[in-house]
Amino acid sequence: MGSRWTVERVLRLAPDSASAKAARTLARPATWSALGSTESLVWGKCQGSAREPYQVTVDLHEPAFRCTCPSRKFPCKHGLALLLLWAANDGTVTDLDEASGFAADWAHERAERAAKAASRAASTPDPEAAAKRQADRESLMSAGLDEFERWLFDLVRQGLAGVRAQPAGFWETAAARLVDAQVPGLAERVRALGAEVHVRTDWAEHVLGRVGRWFLAVRAWRRRASLSAAELGDLRALLGWARRSDEVLAGERVADRWWVLGLRQDEDERLLSQRTWLYGERTGQMVVLLDFAAAGGALRVPHVLGSVLDGELALYPGAEPRRALLAGEVTTATGDGLPVADSVTAALERSASWLAANPWLERIPLALRAVTVVPDEDGTVLVDNEGHALPLERGADVWPLLALSGGHPVDLFGEWIDERVHPCSLVAGGRLVAV
Amino acid sequence: MSDWDGLLATALVGTGRRAPRDDVLAGVVEPGALPVEGPEAEVLASAAVLAVYRRAGWVPPTWQGERPAPAGPDTRPECSETAAQLLELLLERGVRMDGGNAALTEHWLRACVAAGRRPPARLLVSLLQTATVETSLREAARDAAGPRGAWLAVRNRRWSWAAAVDVNGTEGDVGERFATAARAERLALLTALRRTDPAGARELVEGTWPSEQAASRAALLDALGTGLSDADEDFLESALADRAATVRAAAAALLDRLPRSRRARRMAARVEALTRPDGGIALPAEPDAGARADGITDQREPGHGLRASWLIQLVGAAPLPPVRDPRGEPGELVAGWTRAALRQRHHDWLATLAEATPTAELLGALPPERAAAIVAVQPSVDARFAGLLAACPGPWPATFSADVVARLRGVRTDRLLTLAYPALAERLHPAALPDVDDWLEATAREQRARRRMLRGLAHALTIRRTIEQEFS
Repeated sequence: MGSRWTVERVLRLAPDSASAKAARTLARPATWSALGSTESLVWGKCQGSAREPYQVTVDLHEPAFRCTCPSRKFPCKHGLALLLLWAANDGTVTDLDEASGFAADWAHERAERAAKAASRAASTPDPEAAAKRQADRESLMSAGLDEFERWLFDLVRQGLAGVRAQPAGFWETAAARLVDAQVPGLAERVRALGAEVHVRTDWAEHVLGRVGRWFLAVRAWRRRASLSAAELGDLRALLGWARRSDEVLAGERVADRWWVLGLRQDEDERLLSQRTWLYGERTGQMVVLLDFAAAGGALRVPHVLGSVLDGELALYPGAEPRRALLAGEVTTATGDGLPVADSVTAALERSASWLAANPWLERIPLALRAVTVVPDEDGTVLVDNEGHALPLERGADVWPLLALSGGHPVDLFGEWIDERVHPCSLVAGGRLVAV
Repeated sequence: MSDWDGLLATALVGTGRRAPRDDVLAGVVEPGALPVEGPEAEVLASAAVLAVYRRAGWVPPTWQGERPAPAGPDTRPECSETAAQLLELLLERGVRMDGGNAALTEHWLRACVAAGRRPPARLLVSLLQTATVETSLREAARDAAGPRGAWLAVRNRRWSWAAAVDVNGTEGDVGERFATAARAERLALLTALRRTDPAGARELVEGTWPSEQAASRAALLDALGTGLSDADEDFLESALADRAATVRAAAAALLDRLPRSRRARRMAARVEALTRPDGGIALPAEPDAGARADGITDQREPGHGLRASWLIQLVGAAPLPPVRDPRGEPGELVAGWTRAALRQRHHDWLATLAEATPTAELLGALPPERAAAIVAVQPSVDARFAGLLAACPGPWPATFSADVVARLRGVRTDRLLTLAYPALAERLHPAALPDVDDWLEATAREQRARRRMLRGLAHALTIRRTIEQEFS
């Protein structure tokens, strides 16, 4: 039998500290039944709030998690708690030769799916059919974007002042049409704007900026034949025309020592997303790993903040900061602090040059050198050595930032969204700590 | 100049009602450079250009306000990663003990402070929040959180209890603050100063004394209880003549703790006058003006008559005689000695009285080893025994802990274990862990309540053992 993991290794898989906490609470034998493990699987039933106990299974190889609970966190607290019980190795979870029941079923399904995927990849594609599929899709998208342009025109003709009075269906209908036209990225943004107009005080400016950029996307799409590969890549990302990962893996690759600077998980009612910001020590490139999962689906286990991944990344076509995929094995080391940090002015200059190449950039990574957290009545600001101030996101909890910095200047990494800093991590005691 | 606001005004009312101005992009792009047709496209294209232009050209303001002074340095090294994880579990209720995590958290904090270490900064918010609710943790939390915690507390009203009382600065400063601050801050300042400079603190009180109101005078006297010594006698003696009864009572209560004082000698003389040739002590008659001035009142002691109550007050405020076995002595005399022993913290007297009649009050005033020695020789294991365990201060010595576990193990019902459980979890020596594990092992599965308690006990002992290891 393979040796069991340490508690630390298990807790590193937790998407956030709340999950880790919840998992520790659940890791009591009393709430579990039908526990067991093999070399590759751990399983058990957990009595949660529902009448039927949740069936929890973990494949240790990836690791991959499956749980019948409705949580959108991934891995959920049940999966983590199960691993904690198993890691304790106190006889609660016993080693068995074969998996049983639901665990065996799941493992079987996974094996079948993997085999199917492998055979799909092996089969030679038919180039003619592929070209036809692409042409069909493009004409569908073109028709959808033409219609969307008319919708934008109507909006501007009637005046933005009325958008707050529109019912939810106004946005929902436009979004649904975009989905039908296979432009899900824009659809998602339309839906989001429908909610934002009701919560933002600067909603009017915000709407004008958004519709302008969408119009730009519509016009860029019509001229797509004359766009560079990078421009087309960013446009496709905005529209939501996904690339297959094998296509990306076959493209440009960069080997480097990649520092994990910041992690963010977001969720709405449909989608769970995770951004991992990486900085390449040799190439000086800032890239982002994006993981998505439908609610209840499987999100990739996050990398450890502050660690350094030595290996190759495959880059999506686009302007910097580019989206990337892990290509193959990486070795992991522990880093110390932020490998890159700029003054406020230099960071904003860099962000301006990125915007010049990709006007649709929404989240811009900022690595700031020696900023002081200054709470103020009008909202907290980060002030650098030159006295330049950046406002912190509205409603941010400033206390962890103050506790970790103690009012001293600290190196901080965050995302620059709508002219506000959303902090992800900062350097305290020589180590990168999540905030 | 470009005109975002003009563009926004047009967009808000709609191009159906207002035509876009043709100069909104002035200075950004050449006139006519945007190949668009119609007012809607013009507004949208201009919005696209200006929104990105404004975002890319956003200029950070120069900070005009102050930057608050940073937290002072904390030279204590951070505690180990294991210790930090344990504190995190206790604070975030990742482990849950019956009766709450407060006792173990306090244990952790005190061990940390005693070892000269500090908790990691990332746990300070959680620590301050917990101790804001769990007030018993505040003192330990404040010590552990150190300068960084005090710095945070100054900035958050809910955490003001953790703000450091700054007794540094010139003498004039402290005097000025003491003379002018609000009552709570004055008392905090006084208490803090009494720990480092008791005489200076008393002089502050004497300086403002004549102009203080009665309620303030009583509160200030109570605060002098910290760092009390014979040097305070003159001042307290003068306060015995105060106009307000509450102030006189407060002064008398403090003087009760000073057996070498003049008032104690006067009390001794009064007791002496009541002593009969055979050594017995007569009950006093109506107290004279002097005794009244020294604080003798007509308040009845529970279970005693008026004259006996006077005697208890006299004996309780006089120096203690040489230790002697109280068994067979009159009840009012024993009550007086008990009061004197408690006030004067006289360990030999307290131990002797507790051996004769073990009470929670006496045991609680003894050091752990001496209290444990008395509990250890109690013959029966009953509810009273459990009550004494609850009163017996910790940490308990290892042999005593093993003995307690062995004796409780002989009891069939769960009632005693339930009564003693909080004390066991908090004070049992970690060396007793194998005994508890063994007991758990030997307990039948059907005894669910007992097994649950024993598991909780083992858990608490494991945590305390880890705390000791990490801070040794």
